[in-house]
Amino acid sequence: MDSTDAKQSSWSSRIERTLNSYSESLLQTVSDTLVKPRTKLPIPAVIEKCLATLGNPPVIDRRIKDLPEAARMVLAAVSRSGQPQWGVGHLVSLSATLGHPDGVEPVRALFLAGMAFPITKEDPREIWDFDLWLASAGGVRAQVFVPPVVAERARVVPLEVLAVESESLPGNGRETDGLDWPLRLATAWQAVSAEPVRKTLAGLLFKKDRGRFDPVGLFAPPDSTHSPAESGLLSLVWAEAAGLLKQEGETLTAPPFPPIWDGPLFPLIADLTAALFQLQTWDPLVGVTEAENPVPAFPTAMLLTLLLVASAPPDRWVSPAHVAMWLWEHHPGWQGGLTKEAARRHGRPWVDTVLFGLAHPLGLVDVYPRPDDPPVRLSPLGQSLFANGPEPAAAPVLPQTLLVQPNAEVLAYRQGLTPSLISLLSRIAAWKGIGPACTLELTQEQAYRGLESGLTVAEVLQTLARHSTRPVPPAVDDLLRRWATKRERVTVFSSATLVEFGTTADLDAAISRGVVSIKLTDRIGLTADGKEPDFRHLRLTGNRDYESRPFPCMTVESDGVTLVPDPATADLLLEPEVLRIAEPIPGDPPGVRRYRMIPDKVRASATNGTGLDNLDEWFQIRSGSPLPAAARLFAAGPNARPARVEKLVVLRFPTPEVTDGVCQWPITADRLADRLGPTTVAVDPEDLAPLVEALNRIGVQVEQFHGAVE
Amino acid sequence: MTPTTRLAAKLHRRVCFVLVDDAVLAEELLARKKLAAEVAGRLSDRVLLIRPGRSAAVIDELKKMGHTPQVVGK
Repeated sequence: MDSTDAKQSSWSSRIERTLNSYSESLLQTVSDTLVKPRTKLPIPAVIEKCLATLGNPPVIDRRIKDLPEAARMVLAAVSRSGQPQWGVGHLVSLSATLGHPDGVEPVRALFLAGMAFPITKEDPREIWDFDLWLASAGGVRAQVFVPPVVAERARVVPLEVLAVESESLPGNGRETDGLDWPLRLATAWQAVSAEPVRKTLAGLLFKKDRGRFDPVGLFAPPDSTHSPAESGLLSLVWAEAAGLLKQEGETLTAPPFPPIWDGPLFPLIADLTAALFQLQTWDPLVGVTEAENPVPAFPTAMLLTLLLVASAPPDRWVSPAHVAMWLWEHHPGWQGGLTKEAARRHGRPWVDTVLFGLAHPLGLVDVYPRPDDPPVRLSPLGQSLFANGPEPAAAPVLPQTLLVQPNAEVLAYRQGLTPSLISLLSRIAAWKGIGPACTLELTQEQAYRGLESGLTVAEVLQTLARHSTRPVPPAVDDLLRRWATKRERVTVFSSATLVEFGTTADLDAAISRGVVSIKLTDRIGLTADGKEPDFRHLRLTGNRDYESRPFPCMTVESDGVTLVPDPATADLLLEPEVLRIAEPIPGDPPGVRRYRMIPDKVRASATNGTGLDNLDEWFQIRSGSPLPAAARLFAAGPNARPARVEKLVVLRFPTPEVTDGVCQWPITADRLADRLGPTTVAVDPEDLAPLVEALNRIGVQVEQFHGAVE
Repeated sequence: MTPTTRLAAKLHRRVCFVLVDDAVLAEELLARKKLAAEVAGRLSDRVLLIRPGRSAAVIDELKKMGHTPQVVGK
């Protein structure tokens, strides 16, 4: 299955999942418009028919033709954007701009015709009615998608309402290579890869991270005279929308470059342009906004700006002033979002920034070099994206475009830069300057990140050699190899599976069979990547998961000081933990390993290390019973109150009941020093006589042991 | 022992540890107080066992020490 088939299959599954979430009656309604079945079909067959219809271009053409005017216009406009996903609010805004202020009616018509679908959660509740779904999915914030197969057919529907004055001028305009923004987005990727960006709970950037993307240096705008506001932050939010960056929890991280960066420039520019229409928190004149407006004008006004330029014949030029005036008169939400200065000039600065600061550096429009009011027209690439023009032929690429200097600086001439080379360079070298010739520096940190991303030092050197105009200097070759060697000195296995064998011979046998490849100790090995070994060669005698809570795997013998780990359940952390308080008992037979607690070690552990409570908790976890009394004795050590030598008389009663009574009756209890056992008490010699007398008074006889009292 | 004999083995899953080039380097790492606090024990002279769930902290500390650790199993 090639990538086009895979994409088609992915969209079919997405549509099928959405149709499955429709109620039966809603599905029948959509099917009546989309499929027009002659007989009533069961649900699975209806869904199958809908999918088949969406794979039939002539039928799609007829269904588009049958749409109400407003819905057809909206569909035609968004289909030219290349962006399949749009907010309902934006579609409503587009419809109104195109002369149909009918609220959500066009969106509903697209749903009912099966030309657009609601974007639901992974586990959607059944959709009974599109109005109810809209209300529950956030109203104007709700998102819809137009299947690419529909967009492909709808993009040729004419949009006559979009028309502005154009002029014919002699000569050619200024073109660009389209690399300015891809380079800045790659730089944003590199910055996030070096240090992830954290966001607040509200999704905003912290001040420290905002500062990293100030519009200077690498993040300076391509055209300083028409600079988009906060161009560094634009690179960041744009890179996120284009899938270069990914939000994980509250952190923005840099995953590997998306596959589109492996191909030619044209599809990448198309992809980045489509991603621009997803920006909800950035405006060309204001910069990053706090997403207070649920339907910001930027995505639709940007699309309409390009479509207005596209409305002119390919060889004619359009003044941005005409575009601004058209938007000023037609777009319902655009004026309100303009700055005072821009509003005073009817939005002209906004249009200039979009055309000269975004579209021109992207290579979508050419600019006619007229000092006063320079007009624009779509470039061949822009024609292909927004005016159904043919795909432009790829420019010849110069493979040798790098110059690696002995000081580890790399000069990259833009004529030979391709998306794949940009992504590769971003992984191995730090961008230092973006201009007609870009500069990079091979640094240890960046080379390390490149190697960590899966590249080998040989691949890095091959890449540099393949694209260099001169051989890679030996000093640079040596430097890269040294950095790679240094990296190999310390390896962190963050979540490996270790295999512990009974004997060294077994481990050697496992290595010879390829079950494990690294020998950690005389009995423990692991695979090269730290993953699970081939179980066909193993008979498992135990299995421990170190991220689960440890469970009892040790017993304490009755002497209270001998610790015996259970070889079947003990983990590797047990021995180091035990050795903090005990030492191995010498002379045990092979396979038996016992430890004896050492008073000094227990005391040190209790006082300097973990503390008595933690030691007690450790015994509970590891042995299932509390800290043994002997260990408490060791821990108390010199801190315990001193013992005292005393002379006491022991009195033994015939039964425990009598002893209980003696201990309870205050007359006798006051004369007792301590109870020693069920039938014995200790008495101070001076208290013996009064005690015996009290007992005699109640008839309890005491046989005086001769010599008990001196 | 025939080649088909299964070897008795115990699995230790999701273990975090640091494997270094030589024992001297392991000593150097253990001398770093913050790093030593994350080390649960020493499996051999070149293998330091890390407390569960502390791999990120160990990697950060290694980088602060100027090392460029190879991370396996991210």
